[in-house]
This record gives sequence, structure tokens and C-alpha cells, in this order.
Amino acid sequence: MAGPRPVAPSGDVHDLPPELFYEEVHSFEFWFQAVEGYLSGTTWGHRPDVAEAPLSDADRDRLVTALCNYCLGEMAALEGASGLIAIAPNRLAKVFLSTQVADEGRHLEVFHHRLRDLGVGDPEAEVARRASRSLLLFRRRLLELVAGKDWEAAIFAQNVILESLEFAVFRNHAQTADPVTAEVLRLVIKDERRHVGFGENELGRRLAVAPHIRARLGQTRKELDHLVFDTLAETARVLGVARDDEERLGRAYLESVERLGLGV
Amino acid sequence: MMQDPVETPAGSTPAEQPRQRYVLEDTGFDEVPQKYRKFYRKWGGPGDVLAPNEVLCPVCKVVIRSTRELRPGDRVYCMPCMSRLVVVRAADGTLEARVAY
Repeated sequence: MAGPRPVAPSGDVHDLPPELFYEEVHSFEFWFQAVEGYLSGTTWGHRPDVAEAPLSDADRDRLVTALCNYCLGEMAALEGASGLIAIAPNRLAKVFLSTQVADEGRHLEVFHHRLRDLGVGDPEAEVARRASRSLLLFRRRLLELVAGKDWEAAIFAQNVILESLEFAVFRNHAQTADPVTAEVLRLVIKDERRHVGFGENELGRRLAVAPHIRARLGQTRKELDHLVFDTLAETARVLGVARDDEERLGRAYLESVERLGLGV
Repeated sequence: MMQDPVETPAGSTPAEQPRQRYVLEDTGFDEVPQKYRKFYRKWGGPGDVLAPNEVLCPVCKVVIRSTRELRPGDRVYCMPCMSRLVVVRAADGTLEARVAY
């Protein structure tokens, strides 16, 4: 099983040398032990003993639409993350992205399964029917950036923009969702924390040594912003999110952008 | 709050005092391998008052905990989102963490 983990002489993790910290948190071993902690004992993304709550037809329909768009977002992230491995600039990024691919595959699977739980016979067809147009356009642009081997712009689109959006929306939805969906979302959010952090930190380090890429990323942001906010608005409508909360969700994405110095 | 100060000097300003030390206990945070769990806890939202050995990660909103009282200039790690952070004094006098890329 696992070998010895890095330990600072003081016993405080915050005293680890930075290179050991980065090696540790990007490792497959770290990922494996982390997800084991919260996924062990779950089936299709939730504990088997979480009981279904009755849903009205209207609530079920709204939930199906939301889940269809979550499936589309996770499909985009799965395709994006797997494509990014080939152009990742170093071993740590490649290994981390391999764990992200596993996470995204799991998310897609559990959301599909939830659709089946809700009585959707052909989830793929339902996703195609209900998918948000802005999210489809976002996915297309993300995959173009990956295919164009633009590491910084693709990481920005995927791990900063898309993951921040998912992180904020899932956190919000988990507060109001039925018990099974809420637990599925809470466990997905635990994975999203790593993805959001990887994107911001990777880009932050790149910007520190190559500030000239800031303008290019600013352009990518301008290009994608309206798709992000359109997707957010559509999702908020489906979930019945209040206007104030919708603005708060949007700010979660903007905070990350501001920290990177990519604000308009 | 799951923490136990084991050394609490009194009678001097924080800058002059030796730092308080804390024995950390597992708070049920399960997003990192078991060995690291005591260094983090879930944030309870804006009403959650942070202890002197705690600071909020601005990236992923997890509370980062140290075995010692934190002061401006300290460096801490957020393992759940892989961030390196520097502790700073905010305008309102509280401690906050800034990302050090």
C-alpha cells in the first residue's frame, strides 16, 4: 500500500518545503487516498441508504434539465482534461490531469445514473435535447483551444472558468436539492476543489514568469464571458435561484479571475 | 472548535509574545489523506469565527489550521486545492490568506 508520506520535522504540514508540497498534492497517491476518504462505501455517487424524496412533476423536470447540463459540462471537462495531458508542460501536471480525467469520468457517470434514477430512459438523447446552447458553444471553444495546443488558454477555459462555474452552481444546488442529488453534488464538489485550485495555481505560476500571456488570456476571457454568464443565467432559471444568489455565483468565478489579474 | 491551546502566554502584545501552540484534532474533513486531515476543516460561512491558528483559503473556502498561532507573513498550504498562501493582516484587522503562485 502507501509508502511513507512527506513529513516536516515540526510535524506541521505548513512547514513542508514547497517542492515536496507540490510533488505530494499533484500525485496519484494523494488523489487516491483523498477520494478513498469520501467515496468509499458509495454507489453511483451516494451512500446507498440515502432515501429518495418524492418530487413533483415540475420539480423532476427542472432537475432533469439541470442534470442534463451538468452531464454536458462534465463531458466537456472529461474531453478537455484528457486532451490537455498531451500538452501539459511537466510530469506533475500530467499526473494531476490523469486524476482529473478519472474524476470527470465519475461525475459524468453518476449524473447519467441519476437521470436514469429519475426515469430518463435514454440520458444521452435527453442531454442532446435539453443542452444549453451557450454551454455547447463553450465546449466547442474549449476543445478548439485544446486542439490548438494552447495550454494556458485551455487551462484557463477549463480549470478556471468551467470548473469555477460548476463549483459555484453545484454548491448552491446542493443546498436545495433532494437528498440523493444533494449528496451526489456534495461529493462532486470535493473533487472540484482540486480542479479549480490546479487551474488557478498553474496559471498563476505561468503568469508570474511570462506576464505577456496575460493579454491573450484576457482576450480568451472576453470571448468566453458571455457564454459563462448565459449558462449561469439559464441554470439559475432552471434551479429557481434568486437574482442575488445568481450574482453571488457569478462573483465566485470573477474572484478567481481577479486574483490572476485578468479582470477587465 | 476542535482545538486545545497548550501554551497561552499573557501580558504582552501578539508581536512580542511567543506563539500559542495548538494540538489539532481531526474535524471530520475528509478531502485529503488521513494524515493531513487535522490541518483543515469545513468553513461554516460568514458567521464562522476563525481561531488565531486558522485562516480561510480564498480559492476553495476551506479553513486551514496550523499547530501554531498564525501571524502576517506566515506561509500556509491548502492541500484540498493545492494552493500556497501567505497570511496577511486585512483592513478590518483580521488575518486573511493571499495566494502565492
